[in-house]
Amino acid sequence: MHELGIAENLVSIVLEVAGNEKLTKVTKVNVSIGEMSQVVPDLLETAFQVTVAGTIAENAELEMEIVPVKLKCMDCDAEFEIHENIFVCENCGSQQVEIISGTEMFVKSIEGE
Amino acid sequence: MEIKVMKNILDRNQNKANEVRKILKEKNVKMINLISSPGAGKTTLLERICERLSGEFRVGVIEGDVTTDRDAQRLKRFEIPIVVINTEGGCHLDSHSIYKVLDCFNLDNLDVLFVENVGNLVCPTAFDLGESFRLAVVSVPEGDDKPAKYPMLFRQANVVVLNKTDLLHHTNFSLKNFTYDLRKINPSVPLFRISCTEGDGLEEFMNWLSKHLKP
Repeated sequence: MHELGIAENLVSIVLEVAGNEKLTKVTKVNVSIGEMSQVVPDLLETAFQVTVAGTIAENAELEMEIVPVKLKCMDCDAEFEIHENIFVCENCGSQQVEIISGTEMFVKSIEGE
Repeated sequence: MEIKVMKNILDRNQNKANEVRKILKEKNVKMINLISSPGAGKTTLLERICERLSGEFRVGVIEGDVTTDRDAQRLKRFEIPIVVINTEGGCHLDSHSIYKVLDCFNLDNLDVLFVENVGNLVCPTAFDLGESFRLAVVSVPEGDDKPAKYPMLFRQANVVVLNKTDLLHHTNFSLKNFTYDLRKINPSVPLFRISCTEGDGLEEFMNWLSKHLKP
């Protein structure tokens, strides 16, 4: 249940940006959540709504884009998505693979007035 | 209007973790983040580590616990600096909580700082503490499916310890399945099979640890 901690970090970024941009109301927050980040979207949604209560982002919509896990092979440069947790290159079989996306938690943008 | 942000949600934690890492590097202190579920044997492993390595290294411990200082009490006999962080319900430690207690240690008199994270296989993996490496502890009674179920921990771990191997005969734990799943996720991570109570595999693990704790 680290979603609450994540929501607190998220909301502090949202409020900071909104403050810098002199927004009086935040209506939507767009985030990217990696499939492997172990965030449960429903829990993050609830934690977000609890955290924004009483701020200028109260009732803002949280739009989550779920990013699939993508690997890059260090030997043959192949890039591919994985759907099971098998960290082996599907092209050449190498075990030298790096995660290039799917673990991130990013605030993409905020919308407001 | 829409405002582009493109910022890591855990930026604050990451920045503080980088700061912790820098401080420890300047002081030549290695920090090890121990992650496991409750009851896997993190504290017992720390006891074995203190018994065997406290002559070789000046060891300090940060104990992360939801409540109580029971783990810290168990380590008291080693007369090493121990700081308890009670998260009061929080399911993980973060870099800010580590940063706050660094002052409690005299880092000039320390070689290694072990951090016993809150028992949990999910949440602690998201929070970099500024550690030198991550040690994942898993135990036989938990079942052989842990790597498959918690891939992030095992992918990020720099070393994996399978504890309580003395109980292998009493459970349906399959070493073959465990190793197969672990290798799919992290083909090269060192794996040590140990029993903290019987002592099996401890020497090999301590040799590895001692080698990796040297500056």
